[in-house]
Amino acid sequence: MQFLWLLLVLAAAAGLGYKVISDVPSLLHTPLMSGMNALSGITVVGALLAAGTAVYTGNVIIGMAAVVLAAVNVAGGFVVTHRMLKMFHGGRGGRR
Amino acid sequence: MIIIYLLCAAAILLGIRWMSSPKTAVRGNLTGAAAVLVAIVAALTAEGLLTAVHLWAALAAGGLLGLFFARRVRIVAMPQFVALLNGFGGAASALVALVVLLGAHPAPPWSIWAGALALLVGALTLSGSLVASGKLSGLLPQQPLMVSQHKLIVAAVGVTALAVLLWVGAAVSVIGVVALALAALLFGVLFASPIGGADMPVTISLLNSFSGMAGAIAGFSVNNLLVVAAGGIVGAAGLILTQIMCRGMNRSLVQILTGQTTSQRSHTPTGETGGKAGGTASQAAEILRNAARVILVPGYGMAVSQAQEDVRALLDYLEEHGKDVRVAIHPVAGRMPGHMNVLLAEVDVPYDRLFALEEINNEFKNTDAVVVVGANDVVNPAALEAKGTSIYGMPILNVHESRNIIVCNFDTKPGYAGVHNDLYELERSLLLLGDAKDSLRSLLRSLRAEREGSDLDPQTLEAAAASLRKAKRVMVVPGYGMAVAQAQQEVKRLLGLLEQMETDAKVAIHPVAGRMPGHMNVLLAEVDVSYDQLYALEEINDQFDDVDVAVVVGANDVINPAALEAEGSSIYGMPILNVYRSPSIIICNYDTKPGYSGTDNPLYQEERVHLLLGDAKDVLEQLNDAVASGGS
Repeated sequence: MQFLWLLLVLAAAAGLGYKVISDVPSLLHTPLMSGMNALSGITVVGALLAAGTAVYTGNVIIGMAAVVLAAVNVAGGFVVTHRMLKMFHGGRGGRR
Repeated sequence: MIIIYLLCAAAILLGIRWMSSPKTAVRGNLTGAAAVLVAIVAALTAEGLLTAVHLWAALAAGGLLGLFFARRVRIVAMPQFVALLNGFGGAASALVALVVLLGAHPAPPWSIWAGALALLVGALTLSGSLVASGKLSGLLPQQPLMVSQHKLIVAAVGVTALAVLLWVGAAVSVIGVVALALAALLFGVLFASPIGGADMPVTISLLNSFSGMAGAIAGFSVNNLLVVAAGGIVGAAGLILTQIMCRGMNRSLVQILTGQTTSQRSHTPTGETGGKAGGTASQAAEILRNAARVILVPGYGMAVSQAQEDVRALLDYLEEHGKDVRVAIHPVAGRMPGHMNVLLAEVDVPYDRLFALEEINNEFKNTDAVVVVGANDVVNPAALEAKGTSIYGMPILNVHESRNIIVCNFDTKPGYAGVHNDLYELERSLLLLGDAKDSLRSLLRSLRAEREGSDLDPQTLEAAAASLRKAKRVMVVPGYGMAVAQAQQEVKRLLGLLEQMETDAKVAIHPVAGRMPGHMNVLLAEVDVSYDQLYALEEINDQFDDVDVAVVVGANDVINPAALEAEGSSIYGMPILNVYRSPSIIICNYDTKPGYSGTDNPLYQEERVHLLLGDAKDVLEQLNDAVASGGS
């Protein structure tokens, strides 16, 4: 039952995601991609739960490694996306 | 908990919705970041892990590391950075799957199956991304790397990986898990190695999608709704980008993955060279001066030669002179989706000047001049006509329809697709071959010189250059004018030229040159001038007698000999650099007006001084060109 529920969520998310992402102009494709990078770091939630509830020490360590990598993704991805998006501006008004 | 997760997922989708316009995109990105933060705290709270210090430590370590890299990475290195982040995402998901597979808790079978699959996809994303990142940063060769029987080996490794997957799914064992991880890593390497060069946008997009899928599948194995949802979104985004990139190249994913790129070279040049191959900058300037509507077309060559600043300078110049200027961007120009847009945004080109292929392709026929900057396959008309070539059917920018075409490419060799470009032979084409940055600079110089009539006197310039070529010891004296004109790079170039001629060159720096202590040193350090070439006043002041030439770049008061003699003037008594003691002096200053102190500089009147007035960067560039050309 749980499995089917997750499958439904996956389908809904991918479907809705497909729709909103299709509207992103090619102008912003690079920030989009780095933003998606950051988002794929959401695995950090799974990693935290896995590391936090693991019993064997080895598993705790593997889990923590996953937390570190995913956190690099989240922080690095969002910050670099922010940096890039701040560079985009229209018209002459916003120029130096 | 489910409610919070669903709200987070909704916020993420809203954030992406805002990414559809550059006006709201910053807000969209922040919304996504906030949603992830909320999700982390909520998840820890729900499981009673809020006080688990080791988890916070790991979070902080990763977060700070990510922050550090994200702030330091240069925009030009973005393709390899994005590729690397893809790999990290895949690795994190693979590790999460490992914890589930090797865990003590009895897990339902679908959780184990999902764990095995997440390990497979995550591991191949990691190794594939590392290979892609290595290729993009130049650590690995760009060309397709294939071993003999590549396809066969890829297939064999793939089948092996799937077999191990079934084994692990049916009965988990440590050996099985390790074998699965190794097979997946190997598969990732084999899959990424044949893909190179212009196919990179596809690879990056695909790996982006994989990192999302790995996340979603790992979400199944840890039974977490939000991880599944966000992974699904990322997977979809990557797939969309992959689709767009494939369409932009008119190639199927399979062709790209199997490295079928440069294999078909059937198209040969159509005839004699009709294009003006040895075009000159002043011919190109003439064309642009007479044009009302201009389109600039950047390609990967712009990124390679780092000519973004010069593209912007050209755009600015043309706009200031009343021309309608637009920039046309092909979807697969560069090495990742949106590559050209980011590079141009970094140098402050407003995005409303940037147009996508479908927005602008009908405009080329009404355009007076197109300037191609390092683009080849994406403007090759063979894609429309030459059946059987590898780019036939690929959408191109219709540059060939324009009335005049100025091509600033490195050479006339075929691009990555290996197909000859007929554009070069058109009667309307003018080729400025060589480094795109150099070509654009001389084009701009021609435009400025002929329009404003303020070019340097060629005789003075040549005399100055000749004195530098003859010199054995040269002293360069930068001042605030160098900072104003941003002429550091040209100073660096001058030092390099002198070094090539085995001339001893030193840079003398006055303690108050510039607008802050050490200003000149920082500026020169930024452009990689070695600090052992930089000398402070007291170290160097008695050496001006021994040098052959002193070159002043935007310095005035700090070299003004009035400070030694003119009692009563405001700078009397101020220590100066003894430039006046060298036998020959070249001064690259904006004008001969007094500096900040208001005291006239008597040096300007002297015979032995070569006065090169104007923007220091401009002047020094011409001087460097003259020195370089006379030496060859």
